Amino acid sequence: MTQTEILAKMQTVFDDVFLDDVKVTPELSANDVEEWDSLLQISLVLGVEKAFGVRFRVGEVEATKNLGEFANLIQRRIAEGAKV
Amino acid sequence: MPGETVTATRLGADSVRDLLAGRDTNFWPALREATRAAQDFSETLSLATMRKKALRAGIPVTIDKTIRLAVAGGSSLYPLNELLEQMIGAASSTGWWHTELWKGDYDNYISEILDPESELYAFKPEAIFLIPSSQRCVYQGALTDSREQQHAAAVAAAEDLLALCRTAHERSGAEIVIANFMPAPDFDPGPYRVRTLGSDWNFRRSVNLELGLNAPSYVHICDAEFLATRRGAMNCYDARAWFETKQLYASDFAVDIAREVASIVRSLHKPSKKVLALDLDNTLWGGVIGDDGMAGIEIGGTHARGEAFRQFQLAIASLAKRGVVLAVCSKNDYKNAAEPFEKHPEMVLKLSDIACFKANWEPKSENLRRIAEELNLGLDSIVFVDDNPAEIEIVNQFVPEIETIHLGPDPAEYASQLLNSRFFEPRSITADDLQRGEQYQQQAARAQAMGSSGTDMESYLDSLDMHSTISEFTPVDVPRISQLINKSNQFNVTTRRRTEAEVEALLTDRSRYAFSVRLADKFGDNGLISVVIVAVEEETATVDTWLMSCRVLKRQMEDEVVNEMVRLAKLRGCSSLIGHYLPTEKNGMVRDLFPRMGFTLVEDTPERTTWQLDVNAFTPHPTHIQIDRRAYPTNSPEN
Repeated sequence: MTQTEILAKMQTVFDDVFLDDVKVTPELSANDVEEWDSLLQISLVLGVEKAFGVRFRVGEVEATKNLGEFANLIQRRIAEGAKV
Repeated sequence: MPGETVTATRLGADSVRDLLAGRDTNFWPALREATRAAQDFSETLSLATMRKKALRAGIPVTIDKTIRLAVAGGSSLYPLNELLEQMIGAASSTGWWHTELWKGDYDNYISEILDPESELYAFKPEAIFLIPSSQRCVYQGALTDSREQQHAAAVAAAEDLLALCRTAHERSGAEIVIANFMPAPDFDPGPYRVRTLGSDWNFRRSVNLELGLNAPSYVHICDAEFLATRRGAMNCYDARAWFETKQLYASDFAVDIAREVASIVRSLHKPSKKVLALDLDNTLWGGVIGDDGMAGIEIGGTHARGEAFRQFQLAIASLAKRGVVLAVCSKNDYKNAAEPFEKHPEMVLKLSDIACFKANWEPKSENLRRIAEELNLGLDSIVFVDDNPAEIEIVNQFVPEIETIHLGPDPAEYASQLLNSRFFEPRSITADDLQRGEQYQQQAARAQAMGSSGTDMESYLDSLDMHSTISEFTPVDVPRISQLINKSNQFNVTTRRRTEAEVEALLTDRSRYAFSVRLADKFGDNGLISVVIVAVEEETATVDTWLMSCRVLKRQMEDEVVNEMVRLAKLRGCSSLIGHYLPTEKNGMVRDLFPRMGFTLVEDTPERTTWQLDVNAFTPHPTHIQIDRRAYPTNSPEN
C-alpha cells in the first residue's frame, strides 16, 4: 500500500470520527483542526487500527508529527504483518 | 407524525447521522435508542459527537432531568466521562438526561474524599462514581501465608473502601457508586492461583465479595468483575492504554462500565417495573393454541423447542417469585387461551399465577390500559413481551409509557432476552424481602437437618421429596410419548419404535395397557420420564415397551413402574408378567433390569433374554416416591 492509498483510506476513518469535512493531507496534524482533541485522537487511533488491521505499540502514535508520518507507521505495521 | 419512523426498527449510528443531517425531530429518540444498543467505544463516541453537533445545530431536545455526577478514581477518568454522559443521557425514557459532571484528578480520589474542603464536596454531587485503583488491591504477603491472614487482608481492603464511601456519603449526602475490581487476566502464578487467597486473582475476588456483602444501602456496586467475566477478562484490560493514557478499562469495556453506571443512576431516579404482561402464542408456547390445540402446541416434553419455551416460563416464574406481577395480554378466545394454563401438564405457569388475564380480540394497547387499571398501577410500571413485531409496534405507538421486549426468532434466547432486558432488577432489599429470606433460611436449615441425618442412599432419596403421577396415554401426551419412543436408546428394554399414529392407536387398543410416568422432586419437575406399553393375551401380560429417561436413574422409579405394571396386570386378570430384554449397542444399562426387579430367567438366546414374574406372589417394592395418581383411575383397563 502506498502512502497515498493509506491516506485515502484514512480519510474514511476521519469522516466517521469527525462527522465533518476534515481533509487528510500528509502535513495535517492535531494542531490544525480545532475539534481534534484527545478524545477524538483515541477514536482515530482505534478507527485506524480497525480499518487497517494493525496494532500500534506503546508510544508510537504519539511520536508521529503529522499524518504523513502516521501513514508511514501504518505502512510499516502492514508490511510487518504481511511478512508473518 | 412524531415517533412513527423511529419505533419501527432498531436504529444504528448511521440512521442517527441521517436524522442529524436532516435536522429531524426524531433525532433524539433515535440517538437514545442507538446509544442504549451501542456495543463499542467508537460507536458510542461517534454518537456522543452527534449529540454535541445536534445541540449546536439547535435540534430541539427535552432535558427532563439533570444529574450531578462526580467521578473520582485511581485511573484517568477521561474519556470515560464522555461515555458516562452519553449513557446517562440515554437513560431517559422520553427526552434526554443532562449530566453535570465533576471529574477528579488521576489517582487523587483518597485525598479528594478525605479533605472536607475538596472540590469534590464544593461541587455538591448527588451521585459519586468511585473507581478505586487496582494497584492498591494486592495482597502484600507471601502466597503461602495462612488463609486467615490473607482473608483478613481482603476484609481490611474492602473495609477501607467502604470507609471511604461512608465518608463521601456523610459529607455530601450523595449516593455512592463504586466499581469493584476486574478479574486479573494473567496466568499468575499458574494453577496455584486458586489454592491461595493471596494471588491477584483470588485476592481481588475476595475483596469484591467482602465489598458486595457488606456494602450499606447508599453504596451501589458497579460490578466490573461480573461485566468483565461476561466479556472476557483478557478483553477488558489494555496494557498500552494504561501506559499511554492511564485508562483502567480497555476502550470497549469502558462502554460496559458506563452503561452499568447509567443503569444504576437511572434506578436511583425511576421506580422499577412491577408488571410483566405476556403474549401467549409463540411466546409462552410454540404454535397457535386456537389452531393447533392442546396436543399441538410446543411446551416442555422432550423436544428442543418445547424445552426452550418451558425454560422461558421458568424464568418468568422466578421473576414472579421475586414479586413481579404477571398478566396475560393475548389475541385469543379466552377459553382457548386459558386451557393450557388449566390442563397442560407441561405448563410451568398456572392460571393462579396470572393476576390479570386478558384474552380477547381488542387491540393489545387497550387491554394493557385495562390491566393497568385493574391492578391499580401506572402504565409505566408495565413491561409487555411479544414475539410479533406488529403488536410491539402498536403498543409502542399507542401506549409509549409501556416498555416492550420484542422477542427474537429463536425461543432458545427468550429467557436470556427477558433477564438481559434488566427491567426487573431489585435495587434495594425491603423488610418483606428480609423476612422472606428468613423463611428461606429456615427451609434451608430443615433440608440440611434432613440431609445430615445420614449420608446414605435412603436418606438422600427421602430428602428429595419425590412425587410421581402415572397416567394412561392421553391425546395431549402423544407427541412427547412418540418422541421418547423414537429417541430413547439407553434405558429401553426392547427399543421398539412407533410412529405418532401408532401411539395414538394405543389410546383405544384394548389388547394393551400403556402408561406414562412423571416425576417431580424438590428441585423441580422432571416432566414425562417413562413410557410403558404392556400387551395382554389371556392370563399373560408381556412388556412390549419400557423406557425411561436416564436423568432419573437410581431414584427407585423403576420399582414404581414394576409396581404399576403388576397392579394393572392383576386388574386385567393376568397371573404372569413377561419381560424381554433385546440387547442393542446402547442399552447395556438395562441388561440386568428384570432380575433386579425380581423377575426370573426363563429363556436366554443371543437375540434376547426372557424373564417372568408371578404377579400373585408379588409384593410391591417399597420406595421413597409418593405416587399422587395412578393410571386408569376411573375406567378399569379391561373395559
